[in-house]
Amino acid sequence: MISDILINIIRFFLLIFLQVLVLDQLEISGPVNGYFNAYLYILFILMLPVNVNKLFLLFLSFITGLTIDLFTGTPGMHAAASLVIAFLRPSFLHVIAPREGYESTVRLTMQGMGGSTFLVYAGVMTFVHHLCLLLIEAFNFLNFFDLLLRVLTCSVFTMVLIVMSQILSQRSKGGAES
Amino acid sequence: MRNFFLIIRKYNFFIAFLLLQGISVYLLVKNNSYQREVVVSFSNQITGQIYAAYADVTDYLTLGITNRLLAEENARLRKADSNSFYDKSFKLIKVNDTLYEQQYEYISARVINNSYTKVNNYLTLDAGKNKGIQRDMAVISSTGVVGIVNDVSQHFCTVISVLNSKTRISSMIKKNGYFGSTVWSGGSPQTGSLLDIPSHAKVAVGDTVVTTSFSLYPQNIMVGKVAEIGTSGESFKEIKVKLSTDFQNISYVYIVRNLLKTERDTLEAKLNANDQ
Repeated sequence: MISDILINIIRFFLLIFLQVLVLDQLEISGPVNGYFNAYLYILFILMLPVNVNKLFLLFLSFITGLTIDLFTGTPGMHAAASLVIAFLRPSFLHVIAPREGYESTVRLTMQGMGGSTFLVYAGVMTFVHHLCLLLIEAFNFLNFFDLLLRVLTCSVFTMVLIVMSQILSQRSKGGAES
Repeated sequence: MRNFFLIIRKYNFFIAFLLLQGISVYLLVKNNSYQREVVVSFSNQITGQIYAAYADVTDYLTLGITNRLLAEENARLRKADSNSFYDKSFKLIKVNDTLYEQQYEYISARVINNSYTKVNNYLTLDAGKNKGIQRDMAVISSTGVVGIVNDVSQHFCTVISVLNSKTRISSMIKKNGYFGSTVWSGGSPQTGSLLDIPSHAKVAVGDTVVTTSFSLYPQNIMVGKVAEIGTSGESFKEIKVKLSTDFQNISYVYIVRNLLKTERDTLEAKLNANDQ
């Protein structure tokens, strides 16, 4: 139990640093700029233990989003988007869970949930988060289809990184980032 | 109160979500200039629309008051307009002559109501008892006969227009003195009929028709010009007369006061009495 908390704390900092120091620094110049932004930090919210207190889940997501916001200088933007997926997470997990529900020991990883279920879970969450985030960023519905396209491309990019991280942690078998 | 806490307990997840989301939005709008601008302009738009709708409703509700105020203002402005002043002064054209005794006086008046589309048309003039107008006075214009005063009030009088089925003007062909009666029986306000001209009288189109002294009009007041000559029966012509007065465009007229009328009427009344 202690190690579980520790692992999550480590994951939190690791993902924040990765997000802020690496992913946010990526800038693809040219017309595709803005189409390939990854927001890998949501993996922290996705991978929080399945039996985490719902209010605590909301609070942690808020803190996570706000931390990213502090670095990007957009207070409230990531916090709001993160809150949305934190709010949806329990219900969505309930929907995609097997009939008897998830046991509290189940890890929300590719290995723990099964590849396809994890892909659906992470994919939908990522899409919802990115949609909220980009909508809040644009703050209007002009060029909505352009925005939707950006949501899709960014989601794909984030998903690629999420799957890569899952594979890496599987390889290292019980490594810090599992 | 207990229920309130129960509800909070039941929906604590949702309420917490809304609370934190509220904080996020607050931070977002407070710290991001673009989002703040959008929110402010949007809220201005919303409040503007609400205020506009509110103003629409209150405008509608105060329509009665507004209407009354406008009507009052209109009345005030109208009162100040020169049209609303009754012209108290009037010119009496009088000639002092030792050789000729004056028989007719002319009182100018303005036409304030006029009709010419009916069978019996009347005019209203802005002269009444205050200017010495009496029933049966003749009314003429600068171009010709207009009618006979019918009714008189303090400031106004009504005039039986020539364009009236009751009209019967004793008139004659000016060049040879054959006389008859000019009547109007509906139709064009520009055409009357001259009846009772004997068929042997020489009349040509364009001849001038004037009043005779038999009528209430002074003599030789222009009635019109012969426009068309026909016959009615064997012994009389029926002449269409183009009236010289344009009743569709008449604004100033003269009321004729016959100074010798009483004398003549008394004399003629005696005659009638003797006949009977």
